[in-house]
Amino acid sequence: MLAVGNLHVSYGSIVALRGVSLQVGEGEIVAVIGPNGAGKSTLLLTIAGIVRAKQGSIEFAGGSVTGAAPERLVSSGLSLVPEGRHIFGSLTVAENIALGATTRSDRAAIAADTERVLDLFPVLRERLRQRAGKLSGGEQQMLAIARALLAKPRLLLLDEPSLGLAPLVVKQVYDSIEELRRGGVTILIVEQSVGRALKVADRTYVLNSGAVTISGRSAELQGTAAFDTAYFGAMSGARAP
Amino acid sequence: MALAHFSSEPKPLQTAGVLLGLLALVVAVSLFMPPALQRTVVEALIKLTVVIGLYIFVGNSGVFSFGHVAFMALGGYISAVLTIAPAKKAVALNLPPFLEALQLPGGVALLIAIAAAGLIALLVALPLVRLRGIALPMATFALLVITHVVASNWQAVTGGRQALVGLPRYTDLWVAAAGAAVSLIVAALFGMTRHGLALRCSRENEVAAAATGIDISRERLIAFVLSAIIVAIGGVLFGHFLGTMTANTFYLDLTFVTLTMLVIGGMRSLTGACVGVALVSTVSQLFRSIERGVSFGDLTISAPAGLQEIVLAAILLAILILRPHGLVGDWEVTLPLAGQDKKKEI
Amino acid sequence: MIVLQNAIDAISLGAIYALAALGIGLIFSIMRLINFAHGELIMVGGFMLYGLAGQPYIVMALAAILVVSILALGMERLAFRPLRRANPATLLIASFAVSYLVQHIVLITFGARPMGVDFMAQLGESVDIGGLRVPRLQIATIIVTLALMGGLALFFRRSRVGVQMRAAAEDFTMARLVGVRANLVFAVAFAISGVLASIVSLYLVTQTGSVSYKMGVSMVLIAFVASVIGGMGSLTGAALGGFLVGIVSVSLQAYLPVDMRPYRDAFVFLLFIAFLLWRPQGLLVRRADRERV
Repeated sequence: MLAVGNLHVSYGSIVALRGVSLQVGEGEIVAVIGPNGAGKSTLLLTIAGIVRAKQGSIEFAGGSVTGAAPERLVSSGLSLVPEGRHIFGSLTVAENIALGATTRSDRAAIAADTERVLDLFPVLRERLRQRAGKLSGGEQQMLAIARALLAKPRLLLLDEPSLGLAPLVVKQVYDSIEELRRGGVTILIVEQSVGRALKVADRTYVLNSGAVTISGRSAELQGTAAFDTAYFGAMSGARAP
Repeated sequence: MALAHFSSEPKPLQTAGVLLGLLALVVAVSLFMPPALQRTVVEALIKLTVVIGLYIFVGNSGVFSFGHVAFMALGGYISAVLTIAPAKKAVALNLPPFLEALQLPGGVALLIAIAAAGLIALLVALPLVRLRGIALPMATFALLVITHVVASNWQAVTGGRQALVGLPRYTDLWVAAAGAAVSLIVAALFGMTRHGLALRCSRENEVAAAATGIDISRERLIAFVLSAIIVAIGGVLFGHFLGTMTANTFYLDLTFVTLTMLVIGGMRSLTGACVGVALVSTVSQLFRSIERGVSFGDLTISAPAGLQEIVLAAILLAILILRPHGLVGDWEVTLPLAGQDKKKEI
Repeated sequence: MIVLQNAIDAISLGAIYALAALGIGLIFSIMRLINFAHGELIMVGGFMLYGLAGQPYIVMALAAILVVSILALGMERLAFRPLRRANPATLLIASFAVSYLVQHIVLITFGARPMGVDFMAQLGESVDIGGLRVPRLQIATIIVTLALMGGLALFFRRSRVGVQMRAAAEDFTMARLVGVRANLVFAVAFAISGVLASIVSLYLVTQTGSVSYKMGVSMVLIAFVASVIGGMGSLTGAALGGFLVGIVSVSLQAYLPVDMRPYRDAFVFLLFIAFLLWRPQGLLVRRADRERV
């Protein structure tokens, strides 16, 4: 579904990604983990079209989307929930969800999908008329995902969905991610929490200092020395939490 | 992230030296020019003084100021009041007797004018440098408007909307060049001090600079006052070049032209300021000639008056779109010694 | 009585300032661009009326609105779209350049002298309302402003594009990530600001009976002040700021000692500086404007 080839991204003179390649197959959940500053967010932002790559290719659903505008990607079925949720605080919950369907025009289907996400996140149904800025962190995360789902994405990009959330809320969010997978959505997830990532993802990539240091089936990676080295760097002997 | 963009000026003395050398060259060449062209050079040198003064604050701090022209007016009007013959003052103005009778030599008046400008800049900027974001530029805009309204209406001191005539016209090529040279040296020296350095740090990243203990407000204050003094010198020289002071001259159009000169060249470097002035002056002069009509044998090409400003604005837009850091960017000109390149930062 | 008269003056002047400020605030909220050239939109509107003098008023007005909106779209397309990613300072200088450019094009075409235009002169007459003599123009201004603001509010709340624009104003990048088309949002914003500017020009021409190439300048400066006071980026704030500046302006005019009155604008800007020192972020702050470290 998604094929990223040899991506090089820089902010001015700072290199963020050096030659990153990854693949996400249809129906998979793939995780990208790594220490702070590794370039994980940059990777997602580049795939979503916000950041321009200096070099490299991005293929989505069989077509090249390198350098495409974010608006076009959304209508092609690619949806990003960025780090920090970024819900539109001054708009109502209902307006936020409706905005997810900006690129769609099939009224009946949109209404049906709206019902489905409200079933998925019942707490949002209670707060439909409220200003989104008043929601708690966890509720905002769910709203952000709900909004992204209204775009009927084939590929959902999630940047640190558990950031800043209480453990109980994190569990709720991840339960809904599992539900999404059951519904046939392909997911690429960037995570700080290594344990969660390895648990939910079929395959995992480790990003360190802008490059992929190791990748493979999550089950096989967990606990290996190679994984620790790849995550923490060559000097470490510590185990991943 | 911040310090990666920090542009160091490895050879500020060299830069100043080269620029001064170029200045001397310009003066030398101008000595052989027809008087009309020489006047253009004089005016350009005065604008250079002003733009360098502008650079001291805007270039180092990264904060835009729209009020510098107000300090030009301040300097010019103070010097005017101190140097115009008492007889003329009695007719045009309504000053207290001791001021009316006073007539000082140009140099003394200059010093008093710029000292006053510096003092006023200090008082005005003291509360304002606390402002962050768009508020400080907007406040400087307000300063410009206030000064313009006062200058246009204070009949007794400025002559109101009418031109105040009678300033001794002592600004010739040498005086203007001296003014430009002084401002160049001051700007280069300031850039070398801890204050200049601290200010440029805050230009790159305010939060990081503050975290390292830099008192951003204080650094901006110092630069603002210094900038105002240099700009006031330009204002005094301008008044004594024209021989008159008119309130309307020191308003939006002059603000636009001087800001354009700074931005076109590259507002982050001294060299840029100089390049900007040179380019804009050249283009202006070119179009002024074209407007008067250029004849090739029997054929005369001329353009409507006002074309010059249109072209200038179009060039500025083009530069902003294509080369947002100005023609020179962060470059500073240095001497081409063996093994040394012009240092370039993005 | 006088107080009531002044109050109506203040409200009608405030209404015009509010419209001007809305034009500025709308663009700023979406693009972080302080459009200095907004004054020239107003000015060109005035010159359209001059150019069509003698035609039925409705034709003149509609032509002005249309041409100014097209000019606004042109500005966006040619000058500001290429600069979309630039920092606010660059954008401001660019708008300064556009303003200078348009001013001098008009100067070359029409000359520097102000020129008379007859537009809705009958609005200059006054109407007797409960003992007060109220110029018809002021009544018309207040009604038109309220209608426009109501229309805008409806547009932003109810229409698809309106909601998209509110989202874009709050978080532009995120709006793109849900599929909002940046080009559309900008174009609509500029078109609306063009309409607002043309309405202001209708008022100015009716009020003063003349046009000149510098007529937009003082209005745009007031519009800035009003937007900043209201809180740049907040549309309600811009309107609020406009009314406040109108009230302060009229009050100063009425209550300043006579020999101080020519300095009225200096006082307005002095108060503006004082306001900046007290509350630089403006009266109505948008949460999204706080800088994230």
